[in-house]
Amino acid sequence: MIKNRSLPLGRISLLLAILVWLALVLVDLVRIFGMINNLDSGVSEEVTWILEILFFIFVYLVYRRIFWKNKQSDFLTLIWRGVSTGLFAAAAGLLTELIYLVLGESKIGTDPFLRNVFYHINFALTSAFLIFITLLWKHLILYQKNKQVVNQWQVFELSMLGALFFVFFNHNNFDYSFLFGLTILLIISILLAVNLKWIPYLNFKEKWKTLLFLFLIMGCAGVLFYRVLDSGNEGDLQINLTDNLFLMALFGFVFAYGLFSFLVTLFNLPTSSVFEQKLTEAINFQKLSQSIQPEESEEQVLDILLDSCISASFSDAAWIELNPKEQFKVKNPLRFLDESTQAELNSLIPQEHQTWVHGNTAELPQPQTIRLTHPIYKSALLLPLVVNKSILARIVLIKEVKEGFNKEMISIIGTFARQACISVENHRLLNQAIENERYQEELKIAQRVQKALLPLHLDHPDSFDICAYSNTADEVGGDYYDTYQVDENHFVLIMGDVSGKGTSAAFHMAQMKGVFQSLIQLGIHPAEFMIKANAALSKCLERNHFITASIFEIDTTTHTFCHARAGHIPTLWYKATEKTAEFISVEGLGLGIVRNPTYKNHVQEKTFDYSPGDILVLLTDGILEGRKETGEQFGYDRIKKIVEEHHQKSPIHLQQEIIDSLHQFVGGDGMIDDDYSLLVVKFK
Amino acid sequence: MLQLERIKEANRDILRLIGEVDASNSVLLDQSMQEILQQGATFLLIDGSQLAYISSAGLGVFMSYLDDFSEQGIRFAIFGLNEQVTEVFKILGLDRLIKIAPDKSTAITLGNES
Repeated sequence: MIKNRSLPLGRISLLLAILVWLALVLVDLVRIFGMINNLDSGVSEEVTWILEILFFIFVYLVYRRIFWKNKQSDFLTLIWRGVSTGLFAAAAGLLTELIYLVLGESKIGTDPFLRNVFYHINFALTSAFLIFITLLWKHLILYQKNKQVVNQWQVFELSMLGALFFVFFNHNNFDYSFLFGLTILLIISILLAVNLKWIPYLNFKEKWKTLLFLFLIMGCAGVLFYRVLDSGNEGDLQINLTDNLFLMALFGFVFAYGLFSFLVTLFNLPTSSVFEQKLTEAINFQKLSQSIQPEESEEQVLDILLDSCISASFSDAAWIELNPKEQFKVKNPLRFLDESTQAELNSLIPQEHQTWVHGNTAELPQPQTIRLTHPIYKSALLLPLVVNKSILARIVLIKEVKEGFNKEMISIIGTFARQACISVENHRLLNQAIENERYQEELKIAQRVQKALLPLHLDHPDSFDICAYSNTADEVGGDYYDTYQVDENHFVLIMGDVSGKGTSAAFHMAQMKGVFQSLIQLGIHPAEFMIKANAALSKCLERNHFITASIFEIDTTTHTFCHARAGHIPTLWYKATEKTAEFISVEGLGLGIVRNPTYKNHVQEKTFDYSPGDILVLLTDGILEGRKETGEQFGYDRIKKIVEEHHQKSPIHLQQEIIDSLHQFVGGDGMIDDDYSLLVVKFK
Repeated sequence: MLQLERIKEANRDILRLIGEVDASNSVLLDQSMQEILQQGATFLLIDGSQLAYISSAGLGVFMSYLDDFSEQGIRFAIFGLNEQVTEVFKILGLDRLIKIAPDKSTAITLGNES
């Protein structure tokens, strides 16, 4: 919106410039008319000067606008525009000369008014050309700005502004003050002319073009300058617009910078290939570092690397050899070589360097230069690529000259290689991360499946309440609890703990669930269950794994429970009549420890009477072994105290009390590095 | 953190456990035991006097060698366990299968009994 409303400054300036110029022509014609006829035209020379200054300012504004719009254009386009303006102005000047040559001494040829109109046209074109070139030079000088250069330029601009109004002081006389002003401006111009930092950025071809363009610009400026001097000498022109300090200083500046640029470009020609080379290297380097993108393969990275190395070292041939252990292949491993020559050259590489690909990686190998005894190829550079401390591949660069690899080449190639290796390494790490992500997903599924193995609903009659809780240290764990209703009055509870934790424990926990759910249907009692479970689990547990379990068979008619323990943490029993809790001691060996029939000697069952208000708390060792930062364990006594203190609470609240106490005990910096589970039963 | 020290003493091999044995380092314990047995040990003593904690995975390692010990007639005993660690062995019932002694000399006597 704002853009639309802003004024077309360029066009307005152009229009004003033309109007001012027309006014200038008119005023001067009137003045000449007055002079010729010795009449007082009533127009003083100051009017001419003011209009001239205005004309300069508007032309400046027009071109400044054009430059502002084209600030992204490259140097050559801009310089070419300068050339075309110059050629046009110079052609117009020469055409005028030609016309007067043809007209000779005829009446029109000597007409002062016509001569003046031509003079004004040439003046306008010359001014336009000079101002355009000045702005072009400004653009080039300020190509790589720093404060100092900007300040210098501002001084120059202010001085030029002063020169613009100098005519009022000096009245267009060629005197010492004029020379003095011109000298100062020329000195500033020369100081500015050393800012030539745009030149190195041109490539060889562009430099030639630039030389031509600069030559043309200076040629045009020369022609125009000559014409200005020439017309100044003609006595019949009473109005002189061009013997103006501003215009002369512009000529000086245009010449000075043009000449400097020309010479510097010329002398830069022989070294431009070096600069171009460095630029290519920088671009190659960027390519290598950008090829980290996951969709790009390692092969592409190596491809870019090989090409970059060849161009950085001016190699005549090269190949890349992959470590045979690597999974992938490079499609075009040979550059400027056929396979037989490659084999021939490879055989010329000394044996100690041949071991690189398979070699010992304790020391990271460095690039090696080798002299070859081959009719064509005389030197080679071996470049090992090391990724993750093992050699990924090596690049062999070959040259037709002896000792063709200098220190700079080796160092830049080394940098390329390192960058490429980093790219490959990053690429691999990224893939690994993606893979890990996938495993995480799988584990989440395992977690869901395992959660489903623990019962949501716990079988129990109205005569007791029950609740359970389980938490795993890793995604999946090895704790297990379950219930089974044998008949109306018989209920079985089990809690188990698989040795170890994590995935292996989780698999064994699933087996335990299978064993429990099958055996318990046989109507067997606790000790018998343990013996059969041990026999079954002995066949499927890994040798260093075992399972501990506690089983309770509750008879609600007789108010008794029968209990067997297989290496499991003893169960805490709160007796309402005695108002104390104790851990039930029943001997029993863990399941899977003794994998033969003698296990029956290691397990026993006991039957206990319970009363209303009694509480059973089945636990796994994760709770007891919950540790503070200091290493102190949660232990048996704390649980006992909590249960005694909170015995009147419902199972769910008691359970929560224990869990909260455990977390409080462990604190922020402590740890519960194991799965832990709880099952609380309260008899009514 | 688990540190393992092997001491050869007369006809006995002593493996000293320093620190904690848990799921993450029980493999180290297993490796050491295996090495010792491969070298033809006949009397293996575990010095647990500096063992602060042992998890079920650690117990699993000892358990897995019990058959080898009885088959090959290797004498095996553990000594110097602190109260907490002894309790862990007892709860699992391993004290019935492994000779657990308060100190080294008792352990040697116990080991020689079998």
